[in-house]
Amino acid sequence: MVTRTLVVIGLMIMAVCLIAGPASGQKVRGVTDTEILIGQWGPQTGPAAPWGAVARGTDLLVKIINEEGGIHGRKFKYFLRDDSYQPAKTKAIAKEFVEQIGVFAVVGGVGVATGMTARDYLMENRVPWYGPVTGVYNWITPIQKYLFALYPLYDDEAFNLTGYLYEKLGYKKIAMFYQNDDYGKQGVMGVERYLLKKNIKLVEKVSAEVTDRDLSTHALKLKNSGAEAVIMWTMPTHAALILAETAKIGFKPQWATSNTLSDSALMMQITKGLWAGMINSFFGELPDSNHPLMVKYREWHKKLAPQERWGVFYYAGIIFAEPFFEGVRRAGRNLTPETWVSAMETLKNWQGIGPPVSYSKPNHPMDRQGGKHVFYGKVKPDGNIQRLTDWIQITK
Amino acid sequence: MFGQLIVSGLAVGACYALLAIAMVIIYKTSEVLNFAQGEMAMVSTFVAFTLLDAYHVPFHWAALLTFLFAIFLGIFFEIVFLRQAKDPTVIGLIIITLGFEMILMGFAGWKWGPDQRSLPFPISNVETYSIGGFLISKINFWTIFITLILMFSLFVFFRYTKLGIAMRATQQNPLAARVMGIRTKWILSFTWALSSMVGAVAGMLIAALGVLDPPMMMDPLLKGFASGVLGGMTSLPGTAVGGAILGIIENLFGGYVSLAFKSVVAFLIIVLMLCIRPSGLLAKHYVKKV
Repeated sequence: MVTRTLVVIGLMIMAVCLIAGPASGQKVRGVTDTEILIGQWGPQTGPAAPWGAVARGTDLLVKIINEEGGIHGRKFKYFLRDDSYQPAKTKAIAKEFVEQIGVFAVVGGVGVATGMTARDYLMENRVPWYGPVTGVYNWITPIQKYLFALYPLYDDEAFNLTGYLYEKLGYKKIAMFYQNDDYGKQGVMGVERYLLKKNIKLVEKVSAEVTDRDLSTHALKLKNSGAEAVIMWTMPTHAALILAETAKIGFKPQWATSNTLSDSALMMQITKGLWAGMINSFFGELPDSNHPLMVKYREWHKKLAPQERWGVFYYAGIIFAEPFFEGVRRAGRNLTPETWVSAMETLKNWQGIGPPVSYSKPNHPMDRQGGKHVFYGKVKPDGNIQRLTDWIQITK
Repeated sequence: MFGQLIVSGLAVGACYALLAIAMVIIYKTSEVLNFAQGEMAMVSTFVAFTLLDAYHVPFHWAALLTFLFAIFLGIFFEIVFLRQAKDPTVIGLIIITLGFEMILMGFAGWKWGPDQRSLPFPISNVETYSIGGFLISKINFWTIFITLILMFSLFVFFRYTKLGIAMRATQQNPLAARVMGIRTKWILSFTWALSSMVGAVAGMLIAALGVLDPPMMMDPLLKGFASGVLGGMTSLPGTAVGGAILGIIENLFGGYVSLAFKSVVAFLIIVLMLCIRPSGLLAKHYVKKV
């Protein structure tokens, strides 16, 4: 009798465990009944600090979601850490996120070299990572179960931008000015890939190191190349310096650049107006857009973070986080890395203020590449953008 | 292209020389290499920016107030940090300057944020003069001019004025200088004030040439140090010559050999000079007699 009773009780306990599922059966790192912990690193100091605004923009979206009551009864706690764009610091921050704070996920994170020091560690620890803030292949090859990329690939972006200059605008002599690291080199890769298709070469290829401050020789080389158009793939400081140096020696080609330099208000200010005429690709709504979400975010920005400048780099932090939160919504109350991954794979042409985003089961690297669209604009003399195209699919 | 590379090299060399002059002023008096020189100049330049941009102070007043701030910053650092060091060695003092550099960098990031700014400046960095068929921007031209004026004035000051001689005496033998009635503490404060003010001039010109942000002086400071080593860390004309040579060599190397390795040239020059002629091109090797 006693044995039968024990067996029945045992079976009942097992049944309860099976029905309740993993949420109550085991603890999920960074998820409690009332909170979800997430983290992001970004350069708040050092030469890449202007891009650090991205991480602060994500903070705004977290605050908005919390103000609106959170998701499925849980509010978010956001941890922002400054890595100064130094890979060694990023690795330490990733370890802090996992081992000390115990975050559920990492969102965003500026930099290729910085992110690469943390990628394998995060994946080994089954930490979901959404939207590294660089458009390189490193995030989708090899395919990682818990890593979803958003940023349009630099290679494809450069390929299509070159095509736009060559075919639509008729520039045949094209030069390139780029940052001598993975970011700049993947831009060069796309430009050269396009030109190879046309059986021509770049008329000049000039690189700058991150710490360089004198670009007079670089400007002379570009001028001597006789280029009609120059594509730049650099950080804001170098973009400002090269425009000043080329203007000094009377070299005025058609400039074009990546969406990494699409904060035209900042660029107009630091180039003293030389940014006017720039052809830029964009991967998000323009700052003064009337898109309902942009209107809403701008209002919250005034209330919650009035000290921040409403620029592209800042609200890019929202673009990089929106799909992550949509995944949390779709995963439901039973949030685990696995349920979040499955939820993300249901996103099909989902769009916030960034590009349309789609993911699916990972059979091909592109199944983990969310952003595949950009549009082109030209900077007007008053700093506003004249939109040249609608969204263009750059990654097939 | 060759001629234009030389002209551009001279222009950038003038910026290096300005910072080198600021470093040399301190080195001549205390044998301390001031690694906070760049950040002191950067903070002073941010003060100028605030006065011009937020308070719309006319440029000449903003420049004057900035120089006063730089003088205060130099004296503050000397009295509050360096003078408090117990039995200081030269190495110990250099480490203190490194610490101050980090404090200033953090302070600038906190106070003015990481975004780049454009310093309003009365001379255009895009408009040019044509000299002998070569183009030089107006601001580059005036940077060279200001560097030469400063170098010459300081050279005369150190060589022919009582105060300048007292500063040199303080460097060569502080004890003997004190015995001879020189107020060495006062001399040191004055030295740091003067150096900080020259640094502020360099900072404002370098920001006007490019952009203003907290890391703006990292590269120029290293190049300024290389110019000082090349020309001689105790020679003011030497720093000007060192800056010009470094600027020209860098540009020619970048133009004809490799742009990717252009930045390395300065460090190569430091190593070579320290091996071949440690005192620099124009300085006499000073030996302390026991």
